[in-house]
Amino acid sequence: MKKVININFKGRVIPIEEFAYDILNKYVESLRKLFANEEGKDEIINDIEDRIAELFAEVLKKGNTCITETDVNNIINSMGRPEDFDDEELKASTEKESSQSSYQTYSSNEPKRMYRDENNKIVGGVCSGIGNYLGIDPVIIRVLCVITFGVTFVPYIILWSVIPSSSTQAIGSQRKKLFRDADEKVIAGVCSGLSHYFGVSVWIPRLIFVIPFISFVFRSSHFGFWSFPRFFEFSFSPGAVLVYVILWSILPEANTTSEKLEMKGEKVDLNNIKNTIQSDIESFAKKAKKFGETVGKKGEEFGETVTEKAKTFSSEAETTVRKKTKGIGDLIALVAKIFVYFIVGIVLFSVVVALLGLGIVSTGLLPLKQYLISDGWENIFAWGTLILFIWVPVVSIIVFIIRRIAKRRDNNNIIRYTFSSLWALGWVSLICLIASLSKSFKYRNNAKEEVVILQNPTVNKLEIKAKTYKSYYNDNMFDIYPFASFDEDSVVVNNVHIRIVKSNTDSFQVKQVKLSNGKSKLEANELAQNLNYNITQMDSVLLLDKGFAITPKEKFRNQNIILTVAVPVGKKIMIKGGKDYSWNSNITISFFNNNGFNLYDAYDDDEYGWRHNVEYIMTNDGLKKTENNFDNDEDNYRKKKHQPQKEEEFTPAKQTIHVKENYSMNQLLLLQFYI
Amino acid sequence: MDIQNTQSQMRKGVLEFCILSIIRQGEVYPSDIADKMKAANLQILEGTLYPLLTRLKNAGYLTYRWVESNSGPPRKYFVMTEQGLAFYNELGKTWQELADAVATLTQTNNQ
Repeated sequence: MKKVININFKGRVIPIEEFAYDILNKYVESLRKLFANEEGKDEIINDIEDRIAELFAEVLKKGNTCITETDVNNIINSMGRPEDFDDEELKASTEKESSQSSYQTYSSNEPKRMYRDENNKIVGGVCSGIGNYLGIDPVIIRVLCVITFGVTFVPYIILWSVIPSSSTQAIGSQRKKLFRDADEKVIAGVCSGLSHYFGVSVWIPRLIFVIPFISFVFRSSHFGFWSFPRFFEFSFSPGAVLVYVILWSILPEANTTSEKLEMKGEKVDLNNIKNTIQSDIESFAKKAKKFGETVGKKGEEFGETVTEKAKTFSSEAETTVRKKTKGIGDLIALVAKIFVYFIVGIVLFSVVVALLGLGIVSTGLLPLKQYLISDGWENIFAWGTLILFIWVPVVSIIVFIIRRIAKRRDNNNIIRYTFSSLWALGWVSLICLIASLSKSFKYRNNAKEEVVILQNPTVNKLEIKAKTYKSYYNDNMFDIYPFASFDEDSVVVNNVHIRIVKSNTDSFQVKQVKLSNGKSKLEANELAQNLNYNITQMDSVLLLDKGFAITPKEKFRNQNIILTVAVPVGKKIMIKGGKDYSWNSNITISFFNNNGFNLYDAYDDDEYGWRHNVEYIMTNDGLKKTENNFDNDEDNYRKKKHQPQKEEEFTPAKQTIHVKENYSMNQLLLLQFYI
Repeated sequence: MDIQNTQSQMRKGVLEFCILSIIRQGEVYPSDIADKMKAANLQILEGTLYPLLTRLKNAGYLTYRWVESNSGPPRKYFVMTEQGLAFYNELGKTWQELADAVATLTQTNNQ
């Protein structure tokens, strides 16, 4: 029972067996190639197709319901196969001769395309193919290749996998497709299929798959994943099983006859067989003749005949060697191809995963969108960017991979163009988004410094703590700086930085600066003013709001607040954070060391690294750690042990104004620029 | 092997001439040409025929017209042009010369 399809052939609907259609298609293709250089080739092909259609009509008129394989084959036979055609230049004679000159036929008929020469191959026919294409003797290419083996090894493998073999040119030779062999299977026919495809004996791929399981004999002293450069040191890992299972699931089984034929692939070229046998016979006959001659003659002809014999022997040896190395070459091919496919698979997989992750993350940020993107064009750009720029490549790559696996070679040009144009649109929207967003952030407000009234500025120690609202639903998914938490209609941003400076009086002072961006100075000022941030003091604790709220109407425009806490000399200060709160709710301590405005939360140096939960004391030279921090870090603990007397140094002494610590508008302005 | 080559070469030489002879006798379409050749014991593949006819047409020796048929697609009927006729006559002369020459030579060989 065969599948029949309807084709539109020359304006008529013809029911034809699917397999017969394949044959017909390939025939027309090969004709196209044959006449590619011919003037008026379209007309010729047209005429031939017309004739075929006529013959089809006759077949159908006779009462057949559809065109069968037999019909097509008969028609092709009567029309003639391309290789039977005589052409003007008549290079056909060389085709029948020894394989040395076989490459000439290919150069006469079609436009020069690079194929691998299956008839003239040592390992994979790559050098022959290159030689054909360039018109250079393949031997030269081979020599070059061998000399530069280390460099050309990988390109050779790549070319081998990529360049199609010349067996696809001849009509009637189906392309070899990788199938699982349903008939000859031990487990699932994977190895049999592989062996057919590469033309090696069945036991070779079987052995390769089995080796890892017995390789614990070879393995060195550790378990590990097989390291590719050292092929024989597979450890007892399930790697081979994995590959086998993957192949099992991907490869289709060759069930129908046509599939089986395709699996076994290369056209049994009668010409080639005939050639080989004949050349063998010829060389044997020659050898016999020569032998007779040497027996007949002697002396001065000895040298001559020896060289002649050597020549025939070497050419004979070449043919035999060529046959022998076929097997080894195919073995290498098999291994290398698996290697290449494996690597490619891994790369593709990781690319897909990465893109998928990116897509998920950006989609997950969606709720925050309303805080960032204003309506109208910006919204459209944002959606455009998300969908077109990020998701389209993900989807297209996944689709591409699936197609590859399902071996569908059909019209993916349209799909490719669609996806690429969509992605181009995605780029456009990304750029527009960035442009419009940067407009909204263009302006900064006029920074005004406000003094925060402290209830009790003369305490000895100030602990700065952020208020936690236990009732906040802290959605950990949005643990993204600087968004601290996410409420229904507002988001709390904890973009608060604290500067600690030396006070020029003997009491604590706190000042705050509200900063914001906006698309105009007016808007920026407005947004900054709307920032609501409370600071209250309770004895020696300075309670700060965890952050300030931003509504969707206001939008996130890089609002931040800078608090400047001026600590008098001799007084202590500590900023609480860390253990009790999530990372995100820490007030960021921005420290400006004496020299510049490095806004970082450094953790290394004692002098420049200010930590949370560490008590500091203000001295004339700046903040220093006190020794009361023994429960925090080890080195402090050590310090305590070694320097128990340090406290005497910190006597509240001078309160002169240090020029460096001058806390002036200049610094603030500079700070503004920096941000 | 070698002889087949030579044989096909010989046939190729007279191919155009034979085809033109057939067409000269009247309007004919390709499949018919192939049949007549077969009847005259000179086999030709249709696939060889079409490119040849197209070349001749492009060179101006033939023209064709479409004839609708109810059993299949429309067919091309080829006719010889004046130019083609002149070409044909030239070939005829050459053929005659060739035939004479071969006849002479083979006769001398047989002697």
